[in-house]
Amino acid sequence: MRYLLALLALAMPAAAQDFSEGSEAKSWNLYAEQPARFEAKVVDILCEVTGDCPENCGDGTRQLGLVRSADNVLVFPNKNSQPAFTGAAVELLPFCGQDVEVDGLLIEDEDLGARNIYLVQTIRRQGDAEWTKANRWTKVWADTHPDAAGKGPWFRRDPRVNAEIAREGYFGLGADKDAAIKDELFE
Amino acid sequence: MLLRPLAALLALAAPLHAAEGTRISVTGEIIDTWCYFSGVMGGPDAVVGSAHHTCALWCSAGGIPVGLLAEDGTVYMVLKIEGSAESAGGDTQLNLASHQIVADGMHYQRDGLNYLVVEKVVTDNDITVENHLDYGTVPPFAIPEGER
Repeated sequence: MRYLLALLALAMPAAAQDFSEGSEAKSWNLYAEQPARFEAKVVDILCEVTGDCPENCGDGTRQLGLVRSADNVLVFPNKNSQPAFTGAAVELLPFCGQDVEVDGLLIEDEDLGARNIYLVQTIRRQGDAEWTKANRWTKVWADTHPDAAGKGPWFRRDPRVNAEIAREGYFGLGADKDAAIKDELFE
Repeated sequence: MLLRPLAALLALAAPLHAAEGTRISVTGEIIDTWCYFSGVMGGPDAVVGSAHHTCALWCSAGGIPVGLLAEDGTVYMVLKIEGSAESAGGDTQLNLASHQIVADGMHYQRDGLNYLVVEKVVTDNDITVENHLDYGTVPPFAIPEGER
């Protein structure tokens, strides 16, 4: 009976587990956030889920995940630590296939279907003393967009975003409608 | 006697690497999953559609994962669209930001999340949720002051 209970515990979803011990994650004051520090392996999510596995986790083009060591749960890091509309794949790519420790915020909101969603704030290889802040995204963007250099945040200068807005407007409904909406909202 | 249930329980506890998918058709909006799941920009009705379109562009270009918000409220994390596996900032997902689409593809589930590999965008209905009069722009600074 004891063995059966142990196996049942292994088989149960780990949503109720608490990974906040030792976390130094900064709050974003989000409704469903919980600090979470845990060990994991960095994986290419498409590879992990479907078996479609290129070299080096897709070289930064794909979403990367964290297979948590404690329970084998695939955690999905949606966000890096910058308050700048920036994801986490760029931060995790240098650790592709490696065993790491991460600290950040776990989002669990049953009403919205949010399970094992993560905002990663710091990363380090298991065994390393130094943490790496998960805030490289804007520097990587600047390095790859030298022609978009200038004042203001990256998202005001991004050529692809600006091309979309020029074509369809800020509301995505076409230039004519965009102008009319702006008149209505801001007059 | 206990071997069969023990084996079944062990199978449940084993890694679910590369699960089998199920073919499905989903109608829904291509959304920015961080804003939707976190509530950082407001409630779920505010972070979809025309009100949130510019933010959806920023987040998609910024490499935040996009999802397909189905009509029944299920969110499918989109891993691939019509051969493009560039789910972290790719052009295909950027061009579909806030659009309602009908997608055929393979559905996978793992650890409480739904994943979708879109094999074909059957229909692209463009933006169908026009909620800008309810919410203005989300976030309020989406349109620079000089362009209002």
